[in-house]
Amino acid sequence: MAVRTPSQTDFTSRLHSPAVAARVGTWLGITFGICFLTGLVSHWAQVPDPLVAFPTRPAWGYRVTQGLHVITGTAAIPLLLVKLWTVYPRLFGRVVAWPPRAAVVHGLERLATLVLVASGVFQLVTGLMNSTQWYPWEFSFRPTHYAVAWLAIGAIVVHVALKLPAIRGAYARDVEEDDPDHPPPYDVEHSRDGVMSRRGLLRSTWLAATVAVVATAGATVPLLRKVSVLGVRTGDGPQGLPINRTAVAAGVSEEATGSSWRLTVLRGDSGRRLTLDDLRALPQQTVELPIACVEGWSASATWTGPRMSDVMALVGTSGADVGVYSLQTRGAFSTSRLPANFADDPLTLLALEVNGETLSPDHGYPCRIIAPNRPGVLQTKWVTRLETL
Amino acid sequence: MSAGRLVLAVVGTAVAAYGGFLLVHDRLDDLPSALVWLVGGALVHDLLLAPLALLVLALLGRLLPASWRAPAGVAFVVLATVTVLAVPFLGRFGALPDNPTLLDRDYTTGYLVLVGVVLGLVLAGALVRSARRRSRPEDLSAPLDEAPADRRDQTRPDTP
Repeated sequence: MAVRTPSQTDFTSRLHSPAVAARVGTWLGITFGICFLTGLVSHWAQVPDPLVAFPTRPAWGYRVTQGLHVITGTAAIPLLLVKLWTVYPRLFGRVVAWPPRAAVVHGLERLATLVLVASGVFQLVTGLMNSTQWYPWEFSFRPTHYAVAWLAIGAIVVHVALKLPAIRGAYARDVEEDDPDHPPPYDVEHSRDGVMSRRGLLRSTWLAATVAVVATAGATVPLLRKVSVLGVRTGDGPQGLPINRTAVAAGVSEEATGSSWRLTVLRGDSGRRLTLDDLRALPQQTVELPIACVEGWSASATWTGPRMSDVMALVGTSGADVGVYSLQTRGAFSTSRLPANFADDPLTLLALEVNGETLSPDHGYPCRIIAPNRPGVLQTKWVTRLETL
Repeated sequence: MSAGRLVLAVVGTAVAAYGGFLLVHDRLDDLPSALVWLVGGALVHDLLLAPLALLVLALLGRLLPASWRAPAGVAFVVLATVTVLAVPFLGRFGALPDNPTLLDRDYTTGYLVLVGVVLGLVLAGALVRSARRRSRPEDLSAPLDEAPADRRDQTRPDTP
C-alpha cells in the first residue's frame, strides 16, 4: 500500500471553509480577549508592588473576574477544537519554495500560524489542568501562563490582520456561500455536501461551548452547583467551605498552632506579642466575603475576627503595607504583602472564625487574613507575624 | 495590505514579541519545559486528535443510516469536545489524599449522565424534526439537515 502525505484537496467536506472559520474564530477571539483582560486583572492583583494600587472594591470583584477567566477559557476549548478541525486541510497546503520572496512570506505565515496554534492550545490546556490542580510539567505555572498569554494575544492580532479580507468576505454573505476571492481549501470541483450544513456545524459548536460552561461553572456559580457534573469543587467542605491547601500539605504542625502560639506584630524595632485571647478581646467584626481562588473556584463565607486596622493600631501604624508571615513551611505563598489600602480597609479582618465556628486547622487556625477583592492565594492562613513594611 | 492591517500586524508582532521576551528573559530555566508543552500541544492536536476525529467521522458516515448522520454529527461535535475537556476530571490526576474538597464529585457517573442527556436531547430533536418534515415536506429551512437544493447550486459554480 502506498502511503503519502495528504494534500488539502483530499478534504472534501464543505464544512472546511473560511465561512465557518471566520464565525467560530470571532467567538474564539472574544473568549481569548476576555481571558487576556481578566488574566491581566489577576496578574495586577498578585504583583507584589504594583504601580497603581489594586482596588479593594467591589468586594466580589476578583471572584467575578477570575470566575469569568476560567469560564471563558473553558468555553474556548470546544471553539478551538472546531476551529482547528475546520482549517485542518490548510496544514497540508502547498509549500511555496520559489521565488524566494514568496517563500519568505509563506514561511512567515506558517510561523505565525504555528505560534498562534501552539500558544492557544498551551493556554487552554495548562489553564484547564491548573484549574484541577494537575501539574505534570516542570515550569512554574503562573509566570509561564502569563508570558504565553502575551504570545497568544499578539498572535491572534497578527492573525486577524492577515485574514481580515477573508473574514470580511465571509461575513458579507450567507454562511453556506463561498467568497470567490477567498475560496475554501478543498477542491471545489470534488466537494461534497455532507449530512450537516455549515449552519448546523455552527449551532453544534455553540451548543458544545454552552455544555462545557454549564458542566464546569458550578465551581464558582452557586446556581449551577447541582448541574455542573465536571465542577472542580462542589463548594462544600469542613465548616461549609472548600480548602485549597491543608495544614498537613503546608507543613503546619499542631505544636506550632498550640497554646504556645503568639502573633508578633512589628513596626520597626517596636512590637507586641499577642495571644489568641488578646485577639478575641479586640472589637470583633463579622463580614461576608468570598474565597476566590486563582484556579477559578470560589465560595462565600461569613468571617469573624478583629479588623486588621485595629490589630496594626496596637503598634500605632496605619497607611502602611503589611508583611504577612505564615507558619507554613511547605509550598509557595508562605508570605504575602497586604497593601496599605487593604490593611486599612474596614472589611479586612484577621479572621478567627468562619461560618460561626473557630477556624479549623485546614482553614488557617489560629488566624488568617480575609480581605475583599483579593485572590485566595493571598488570603494567608496560619498567620504568625505581621510587620509594617 | 492596507495601512490599518499593517498597523495591526506590527502591534500584534510587538505584543507577541513581549511574550517571547518574558519567556526568555524571566523564565529561562522554565523555557525547555515550556517549549515542550508549547510544541507538544500543537503536535498532539495535529497528529492525534484531528486524525482521530476524522477517522470517527468517516466511520460514522459509513456505518450509520443516512437519516441518523446529521444528529450523530451534532452529538459528535458536543461530546468529542466535552470529552477532551473531561480528561483531567475523569483521571482525577490533581487529586490530593489529604484534601477531600478538591475534585470532590463522582466524575465518571456525572460524565456518563452528561453523555446520556446530550444523546437523548439530540435524538429527541431529530425525531421532532423528521416528524415535522413529514407533515410539511415543503419546509427546507431545517438547519441540521443538508443545505437546501437551490442554495447548493448557487454555492457550487462548477455544477453544470
